[in-house]
Amino acid sequence: MKWLLLTLSLFVSMGAFAQQDRYQFDNNKQAILFEELTKELRCPKCQNQNIADSDAVVAKDLRDKVLVLVKEGKSKDEVIDYMIDRFGYFVHYDPPVTPATLVLWVLPVLIVIVGFGFIVIRQRKASVKQTWSSDDEMLLAKLIEQNKRQEQS
Amino acid sequence: MNRKILAIAPLLVFAFVCVFLYQGLFANPREIQTGRLGQEMPAFNLPDLMQDNKQWTNESLKGEVYLLNVWGTWCPTCLVELGYLTKLREQGVKIIGLYYVQGYDADFDGPFDMQSLRSEVTDMLQRAGDPYQFNILDLHRTLSLDLGVSGAPETFLVDKKGTILLHHTGDINPRVWRAKFAPIMQELK
Amino acid sequence: MIPEIGYFSLTLAMVLSVLLCIFPLWGAHTGNLRLMRAAPSLAIGQFAFVLISFAALIYASLTDDFTVSYVAYHSSSTLPWYYKITSTWGGHEGAILLWLVMQAGWTAAVAARSKSLPWVLRARVLGVLGFLGVGFMMYTLLLSSPFERLLPYFPVEGRDLNPLLQDPGMIIHPPLLYMGYVGLSVAFSFAIAALLTGKLDNTWAKWSRPWTMTAWGFLGLGLTIGSWWAYSELGWGGWWFWDPVENAALMPWLVATALLHSLSVTEKRGIFKSWTVLLAIAAFSLSLLGTFIVRSGIIVSVHAFATDPDRGLFILAFLGIVVGGGLALYAMRVSQVHSEGRYKLVSREVALWLNNIFLVVATLIVMLGTLLPMVHKEMGLGSISIGEPFFNKMFAIILVPFAILMGIGPLLRWKQNKWAFLQNKILMGVLASVVITCAWLFSSYDLVKPLTLLATTLAVWIAISTGIDIYTKAAVHGSLKEGLKRFTVSYWAMVLGHIGIAFIIAGVTLTSAYSVERDVSMKPGEIAQLNEYEYRFDGVKTIRGPNYSGHAGVVSVLKNNELVTRLHAEKRKYDIGMQFMTEAAIDAGFKRDLYLALGEQLSGDAWSLRIYHKPFVRWIWIGGVLMSLAGFMILFDKRYRTSAKTARKDVPESVL
Repeated sequence: MKWLLLTLSLFVSMGAFAQQDRYQFDNNKQAILFEELTKELRCPKCQNQNIADSDAVVAKDLRDKVLVLVKEGKSKDEVIDYMIDRFGYFVHYDPPVTPATLVLWVLPVLIVIVGFGFIVIRQRKASVKQTWSSDDEMLLAKLIEQNKRQEQS
Repeated sequence: MNRKILAIAPLLVFAFVCVFLYQGLFANPREIQTGRLGQEMPAFNLPDLMQDNKQWTNESLKGEVYLLNVWGTWCPTCLVELGYLTKLREQGVKIIGLYYVQGYDADFDGPFDMQSLRSEVTDMLQRAGDPYQFNILDLHRTLSLDLGVSGAPETFLVDKKGTILLHHTGDINPRVWRAKFAPIMQELK
Repeated sequence: MIPEIGYFSLTLAMVLSVLLCIFPLWGAHTGNLRLMRAAPSLAIGQFAFVLISFAALIYASLTDDFTVSYVAYHSSSTLPWYYKITSTWGGHEGAILLWLVMQAGWTAAVAARSKSLPWVLRARVLGVLGFLGVGFMMYTLLLSSPFERLLPYFPVEGRDLNPLLQDPGMIIHPPLLYMGYVGLSVAFSFAIAALLTGKLDNTWAKWSRPWTMTAWGFLGLGLTIGSWWAYSELGWGGWWFWDPVENAALMPWLVATALLHSLSVTEKRGIFKSWTVLLAIAAFSLSLLGTFIVRSGIIVSVHAFATDPDRGLFILAFLGIVVGGGLALYAMRVSQVHSEGRYKLVSREVALWLNNIFLVVATLIVMLGTLLPMVHKEMGLGSISIGEPFFNKMFAIILVPFAILMGIGPLLRWKQNKWAFLQNKILMGVLASVVITCAWLFSSYDLVKPLTLLATTLAVWIAISTGIDIYTKAAVHGSLKEGLKRFTVSYWAMVLGHIGIAFIIAGVTLTSAYSVERDVSMKPGEIAQLNEYEYRFDGVKTIRGPNYSGHAGVVSVLKNNELVTRLHAEKRKYDIGMQFMTEAAIDAGFKRDLYLALGEQLSGDAWSLRIYHKPFVRWIWIGGVLMSLAGFMILFDKRYRTSAKTARKDVPESVL
């Protein structure tokens, strides 16, 4: 399997089969970046689709633009910022970190901590060693006596 | 005491969530705004739709308050709003059209047929009303992309200095005008 | 005539439903046995009338009765008969009627199989189920009737069922999901009934468990089928999108998973009672919340039904009453619940508690991600989107501690554990998993990222740890065979369920890490290579189906110059409605899927094609099915199958 992949990557780098690809890139990194970006950017007009999957005109325009930017050598953040400048935060499927969105990360962590703390405290209470004093011993003896007498009668 | 708080907490959280769910029923989740709100119109250099050899740039639009209305003959809702927009024009509102060409792929189709587009546009505006001072042709939808336009009809309210004050997706009707545009237009006077 | 019978029958069902709600609950409150005894017959009567109503709608679809508005909008005479039946739940009104069938069905099932419950509890459970029925029936009769007529001017042909829904997936996915959603109402009713009665003991937990596990099994199966269907149908090789509607089904499932673990603890150890009750209320609340989200228009989704503010308001009001009422009752009565148990920090009790915390946190993450965009916008802060990047990241983070817990958990005993014994089992398991996973991944792939290695190792460890547990528990009894025979159905269910999750984790991890795709344009005769397979484009032929026409791209798949399979990827245009649809061609396999979708016709005779190689993607659905089977196994557990005769003998009627 490994040698097959090696041979294959040789072919790809020689461009033997790459001509067929709809989107042509200068290197593999760009191809991966394009795929990631088109999956993370949202189609502004669709019923919840990313620009990779959508057939809408605006989605195609965005894909074409992402292609141009990626081939220009822009980084992932740069491309995303470019799109957010124009379409707002809506166009990116990862929310910005603002005071309003902080709850997305803070609340789950908080619940984990609270949950852990809860069980530790509960468990401590639950495993408190039972105390057994001499008074308890006497009471128990009395009750056993009573019970024996009841059974005999 | 602690237990009591824990016991009633779920109910309180639920009530809190319900408030937002209720509000959600009357909101439109699909309405989005351009990222350019409060910024200047992006730079562009595009031809006039009807006249040959006439270009428009962002600089040439400065100096007056205007509405930039994104539309197309393919768009049924745009047809509906043409009537009201024409009325607004008669009331003195300056409206510039940005023609959004849908379905033309430079790689795929042949050269663009300006003639038939112009006659289509003339037809439609004669029938439904012409609110536009002039129309800018966005053949490759470059300005639309820079403005964060995703379809039609969409309208931008731009002031004298070229700052984008408002972005409305959907048609403009009396209700929308009163609620969104009128207050700002008032302020600008 | 028939549609009117359908509507009338539903009205009768509603009358019985109202009685089912009032009589038993009043009877339980006043100790009136006669009123309480009415419950089972009312439940069965209600079910019968709902079935008649449903049959009427199916009849209208099968006979192409386009005077019925619903049939006109969601069906057509060109549909094959099985899709005509399916169209019954293809639209909102019909889907709600399907929900009603499930609701009445589960209620009748509980009525029939609860003969050994004390009457007070039985009456209350059925009464609450009756209340839920009343709500949905009122909604259907007043706001959402599928029996509306289009007279006097009705169309000669229907609008056809959405082509996306003309698929075997549509036949089973919604019914399975609804069985799950509605089944959770049984757990909810048991919880409310127990709170009303004031008795939250082991018996309540024991009774709730089989109903909860069956509902959970159905819900899981519905989710699994949904994922598989999206993959097969949508043409992009994706199997989960974190779409709000998908999330709406995932949330009750996550909480139901926590619930069934918690029920087990309450049943066996008598602790965590208040949490189990809360989880039971939460699970069905999330079902209702899901229904609201999907039908109210507050979110944007391809799945969302057509909306109407009135309908949204009704569902929200119903949601408020049911959930609010349940939580209010909880707040009032929970202080009466006492859990006494003793356990150390390293014990199964604590492990199951932590399990619940993780599942609740996962649910919280999904809920926050789904609802925050709406809240954010309502607060005037603008639009944001929350999707795959967020959810995948967060789930990847909690997966690690959760999977570690799943590896250790089954090895733990109740109350306390000797670390020495535990240590060996854990170390052995971890070592074996690391060795196996490293050998497997490094020999198969060039690049193994740390997260991929970690997640796959965890999945393997869960499986191995379960195996170690089986061995050690069986070996105690002398011979292995002897030991295996002694295991309860419950235990095997746990084993199967955990193996299922291991499959899912491994499948998700490997398919995410190693799926490759190529978007190519090819002329007939050309070959494209992806991994070890060659794809030869043999051209396109026109096709004609019962209600569509289009093109099929034929591709021969070769490996080492031998033909592996021939794939036909279609692009269909449906006659009515003129919608386009891609039908991807899939060569399914245990170790990988080969996935092919036809794109557009390009210049010349070239076509664009998308080729995907997806390793281990089937494991995701295999895991889902295994887990659901584990849930259904409980129906074979002898503990829950007491015959009514023996039960009635033991419980004197005076003891209510």
